[in-house]
Amino acid sequence: MRTDAPTLILALETSCDDTCAAVVSGDGDVLANVISSQGIHDAYGGVVPEIASRHHLELANAAVDDALRTAGATLDDIDLVAVTQGPGLVGALLVGVATAKAIAAARGLPLAPVDHLQGHVAANFLRVDGASTSILEPPFVCLLASGGHTLLARVEDHASFSVLGRTLDDAAGEAFDKGARLLGLPFPGGPALERLARDGDPQAFKFPVARGLDGLDFSFAGVKTALLYRVRDLGELETTARRADLAASYQHAIVEALAERCEQALAQSAGERLAIGGGVAANGPLRTRLATLGATLGIPPRALCTDNAAMIASAARFVAAQPFPDYLALDAYASGERALA
Amino acid sequence: MIVLGFDTATPATAVALLDGAAPGLASERRHDPMPGVRPGHAPLLLGYAHELLHDAGLTFADVDRIAVGLGPGGFTGLRIGVATARALAQGAGAELVGVSTLRTLAMAARPAPGQNVLGVVDARRGEVFVGGWRGAEQVLAARAVAPAAVADLDVAGWLAVGDGALRFRDELEGAGCVVPEDSSPRHGVSAVMVCEIALRADRGCNRELVVPDYLRKPDAVRSKP
Ligand SMILES: [Zn+2]
Repeated sequence: MRTDAPTLILALETSCDDTCAAVVSGDGDVLANVISSQGIHDAYGGVVPEIASRHHLELANAAVDDALRTAGATLDDIDLVAVTQGPGLVGALLVGVATAKAIAAARGLPLAPVDHLQGHVAANFLRVDGASTSILEPPFVCLLASGGHTLLARVEDHASFSVLGRTLDDAAGEAFDKGARLLGLPFPGGPALERLARDGDPQAFKFPVARGLDGLDFSFAGVKTALLYRVRDLGELETTARRADLAASYQHAIVEALAERCEQALAQSAGERLAIGGGVAANGPLRTRLATLGATLGIPPRALCTDNAAMIASAARFVAAQPFPDYLALDAYASGERALA
Repeated sequence: MIVLGFDTATPATAVALLDGAAPGLASERRHDPMPGVRPGHAPLLLGYAHELLHDAGLTFADVDRIAVGLGPGGFTGLRIGVATARALAQGAGAELVGVSTLRTLAMAARPAPGQNVLGVVDARRGEVFVGGWRGAEQVLAARAVAPAAVADLDVAGWLAVGDGALRFRDELEGAGCVVPEDSSPRHGVSAVMVCEIALRADRGCNRELVVPDYLRKPDAVRSKP
């Protein structure tokens, strides 16, 4: 651990639909990890950016108050403010960036802008449940899979990662959500599809796992289309009767696609450690399958896998913070990979 | 009382600093982008505030009251302004006051004696946000209307100011409004006026009530189809 690390970090994360604030120590202890889920988007079957941005604005300050109270701290105790700068929904990011900049400026504190994906990676550098060591230390292979991203990366140090593969179309979590919708399950579909799949046979239907892609890239558009055709072919009655089998087989195809790439990545980089993050990391069959790969697995607790601010604070420990007032012109970025070397 | 005020409801970024002990000496910094040029709210707002404070030998910690324009106006710009105001108040322990952008336009318009003022903000999508004042009294509630429909609001003889009045000069003059010349500063939202209105408030507002006046429901369009 760096000896010049700040002692207490306040972080904000508003890249999608969860309004998150956290307080983390310079050693990586999570003192507070507040996640205000907006919920309201479920009725629309997906995140509505304008609604998400409105809610972030109403929730951000209270989330900060909440995090400070939970940590038993006040703003006087904070040494560094961190915030997700991108990528994500730009209107949503801007609320977090404006809030973090203003809190830091009001106190004359430094600000650390953090890349969202670097944040997911840095979730592994946190210490949880009173542990004296972090979840996983570099080097390791990291799979990030959520509704917004699907990425396989090689992590050599605390501050950066190199991309080994990424999805060429849908994210893995998106594939879960879209499959769930085809089977008549409510949004967000991942957990509901996993529950339904428990009663089904994963071998009942053969869904294509995209192969022949360059390197370690992913593609989930094919499996989604295959499910769509299968549901059409079966008709409404038969689909309803075989929903569990369809869910289990569909989930199996996605899990296999992810696991096979992880296995290749581990082999290529002579890696012995595998970290997973993102909401899809909560998927039970995926965890079971990855455990068969023989690598040491790093799986942060669920609240640190899905979008959260503790991971942003964790990443902030390893980026160059900007002193006041250097960051006053900081803007959010919607896409791109600022953190990549 | 030191008041820091700003408004980001229109493409302009306007920031002012006012000392209640010497209200005539308020200072303002602003950026008024040419039509079609991207607003500079996110990169400019806090920097302008810092410069004004620095020039006055002050810091954010010295501010007693933060005043912010609540719109109506552009959603993203409004959120940058309101988020900044709420967080500055939270961080500096300052009071927070929200001010209607249309009211700010009207209060700074300098009408003829007895003349009503129509604040007009370009709402995009072929509409304007309008609201009317007679002195300090609001006589027409804020609403979004098509420029051609302003004539139905019975505003003949009113003084119309704001970026919407500029853009839809023909429609407003057709409704009988008096629109100052294009170069008039009265069409820009005055951050000094934001400060002056906030200075007159008895006390700060509850933070949870300081939210943008969107006047429009969000479009229920998902981020990905
Ligand atoms: Zn994420």
